[in-house]
Amino acid sequence: MKQIVYDINKKLDLPDVTFSDIRLTSTDNQAIFFEKGVLKHISTSFNSLAIGIRVLINGSWGFAGTDSLKEEEIDSMIKRAVNNARIGSTFRRKKINLKPVKATVGSYHFKPLEDPFLMSDEEKLEYLGKIAKELTLNEKIIYSYIYSIFYRQYKVYANSEGTFVDTTVYDTNPAMEVMASDGERVMSRNYPGHMAARRGGFEVIREYDFPAQTDTIIKEAIDLLTAPEINEEKADLIIKGGHLALQLHESVGHATEADRILGMEISYAGKTFVKPEMLGNYRYGSELVNIYSDSTDPRGIGYHPVDDEGIPGKKVDIIKNGILVNQQTSREVAQELGLEPSSNMKGSFANEFPLVRMTNFCLEPGVGTLSELIKETEKGYLIDFTKTWSIDDNRNNFQFTTEIGWKIQDGQITGIVKEPTYYGITSEFWNSCDRVCGEEEWDYFSTFNCGKGEPGQAMHLSHGLAPARFKNVVVNVKA
Amino acid sequence: MGSRILTLLHNICSEHSDVKFVFHYREWETDFLRFFRSEINYNISKKAKTLNTSVYKGKKQYSFSITNPSEKQLRNNIDRALAIIDRLPEDPDFVDIEDNQEKGIEEKKVNNIEKVSLAKKIEFLERISQAVDTYDFKIYGTFICNDQTDYIVNSNGVNKKMHNSPIMLDLKAVSEKNEVTVLESFGSEDISSFDLSNFIEQLVRKVHTASKDIVDVGPDNYDVILSPRCMAEFFSYLVWGGLTAAGYDRKTSWFQNKLNEKAFPDSVSLKDDPYYPGIINFAYNSDGHIYNKLSLIDRGVFKNFLVDNYYSHKTGLKKNGAEASCLVMESGEKSLTDLIRGVKRGLYISNLHYMNFINMKETSATGLTRDGTFLIEDGELKKVVNNLRYTVKITDVIKNITDIEDKLYLVPSSDNYGEFGIYSSAMPHVRVSGFKITSSTKTI
Repeated sequence: MKQIVYDINKKLDLPDVTFSDIRLTSTDNQAIFFEKGVLKHISTSFNSLAIGIRVLINGSWGFAGTDSLKEEEIDSMIKRAVNNARIGSTFRRKKINLKPVKATVGSYHFKPLEDPFLMSDEEKLEYLGKIAKELTLNEKIIYSYIYSIFYRQYKVYANSEGTFVDTTVYDTNPAMEVMASDGERVMSRNYPGHMAARRGGFEVIREYDFPAQTDTIIKEAIDLLTAPEINEEKADLIIKGGHLALQLHESVGHATEADRILGMEISYAGKTFVKPEMLGNYRYGSELVNIYSDSTDPRGIGYHPVDDEGIPGKKVDIIKNGILVNQQTSREVAQELGLEPSSNMKGSFANEFPLVRMTNFCLEPGVGTLSELIKETEKGYLIDFTKTWSIDDNRNNFQFTTEIGWKIQDGQITGIVKEPTYYGITSEFWNSCDRVCGEEEWDYFSTFNCGKGEPGQAMHLSHGLAPARFKNVVVNVKA
Repeated sequence: MGSRILTLLHNICSEHSDVKFVFHYREWETDFLRFFRSEINYNISKKAKTLNTSVYKGKKQYSFSITNPSEKQLRNNIDRALAIIDRLPEDPDFVDIEDNQEKGIEEKKVNNIEKVSLAKKIEFLERISQAVDTYDFKIYGTFICNDQTDYIVNSNGVNKKMHNSPIMLDLKAVSEKNEVTVLESFGSEDISSFDLSNFIEQLVRKVHTASKDIVDVGPDNYDVILSPRCMAEFFSYLVWGGLTAAGYDRKTSWFQNKLNEKAFPDSVSLKDDPYYPGIINFAYNSDGHIYNKLSLIDRGVFKNFLVDNYYSHKTGLKKNGAEASCLVMESGEKSLTDLIRGVKRGLYISNLHYMNFINMKETSATGLTRDGTFLIEDGELKKVVNNLRYTVKITDVIKNITDIEDKLYLVPSSDNYGEFGIYSSAMPHVRVSGFKITSSTKTI
């Protein structure tokens, strides 16, 4: 496959091509889905090939992608990419002119502890099937599922500057959920939460210890049927786990993607309230809020030796002591904004045009454990396990609902509440952060499903964080 | 390619008497122009050939997917499936694969990727861009042509082919001064139905309205005029949350015990109609069942769930093969001007954003307005309003419809991911009372 990429690279050495790159991905995927204790679906795809050719001609991008390695098809795609750039340049006034970048040559091949593509299907089905049955054992549970998606991707990236890198990664995304009903209402509980994907193979599923959690989620789903709602106007919230990861993702991650500043995403995902002049002076959060993008940490799904336009992996501060200091950028966008590229340009598969994407987007740890933080909270709620998320197209007004909340009174958890719903304005919310737990509580939470772009791409990425407390949040929203 | 692989698929079906196969083979291509600030962002040409296969033995099933399939790959994958299938657990609810043999209208459609070249698209966009530039607005959006042929073949004799070649122009004009945005779109399989002058005229009319002062409004229950696009969005969520037989089976549907019951006002009728004039239509559903017109809500009475082969067997509901890809709401009696004129103080909402269910069974959901929200005072659009958050029960929104426009608009949409499709629905403007706005975004 490397040879194919070498050969295409040579063919792109054309007089008017000022930059070009080629990606080739070969992806394996397996999805196993049990519903109400029954295997509903096992599906696999092996070696799904994709090739993407991107050229810059007369200051305009042209792109073509295919799933065929046949030479005539590749030649036809080169022609299409070149034509797209040449004709497209007639509708491009602000010409793109990339600053050169030093070539990177290298390889990275992740090895999982238990390769799900070498394990027998029976072993995986037996493990998940047993848990699926456990989820059905209470008559109030009207619906349940457990699934896992296993993913392996081999990628070759090469560009006209001499960068040539190949990588192999394995990611696994498992989840289970139950729905309880009293004949009228329906309440759900899931585990491990909204961002349960991790880098790794079948060991990811064992680490989550699903069998130990089935009774808990069944009981909580049933208890939620009779649990009270939050009645206060405002409350202090301790947010943990995958839900805080989603909060970070939606209200800081997407808001600091600089292609949104330039309006490149207006047509679909939206723009951002962040403007270039805010860099270095805008108070995004409290002093405790330190947020960075780090594609150099191999524990996270967002790790890479180079991004999809040849920028080596980087750790970049985005918010330092509450002040907005940088953005996530591509080479084109960074140049237009007078920034250094942050190594955030990624495409999900090779036949997709790369976009500015989060990689490992993290909240720096503070101090203390979660139990200490609960003890220090006079009155409030601990919340996790996302149910609903929604944010406006400027990433300014968000509203989230979690499946469950735990009421805190005088430093003790005193009961549960159903569907806690809170709303906020991004900077007011992050400025209300008065505690972030320490290193001992810090972990990665990852997803396979960050949607962006047109045509749409679902990106794998991670968030590193520890639970945090937010003061005086509006919690009285009801339909 | 199509005929060669079809022969192979038929051969495989006849080679195995103890297992059944369902093949869905798709040849798909897109030419996808994305533009921003009145210039090109990128143009993507992309091709894919995908074969999705399900193998059934008794009540056991194994599926696989192959990109750009060869006979060798297909046979290797089948061998792998057959080697494991006996050891898989059964699905006791599975009865049989689709057996519907009816042929739909297989229209001869042109390949719009060839017909609408990149140069042609740019020519259109230059004209539109010039028209709004006078008002200091720039254009942002996508101009897509797809071409897709689907072959659905199975061991029960289903042998269907459908070709679609939809075009979608989704265009926003954004003010350089304050980012106020308006939206105009076109979706069809016939480029000759694209009236550029009319498109520009409609867009410029909206740009005029968008040039008014901006105000913020607080949380309250408002009298609102929802655009056809908003109605398409609300109905598509209602379908997802409540109208599928899968939802009925899960017992999470709001419509659970409401078949043939009055659920909405008399004025509300909704059908799935692939033969509505101008709509992007499909001859078959994804199982290969013929796609016929189906009444979903008739004068406020809930009439049908969308029932595919699997859930028909499982739930006992009658199979209809509908997928709500061609939703059509019945028009009313008032002009848009009269709808707006009837509102003393309220809102005109052009588009919705990032809607999500809070509780699917209750149809409670939250989302935001975007691309032009306007304050109506004394029957006229008086001001531009910051984008707003609503938190509503979708069924309450439909229940609270008080007036419906006398005209339907074709509203295109794209599912955007993978080998995505482009669809359209036909919707009017509607007037809704008591629409619950719960906060302002404080931004445009």
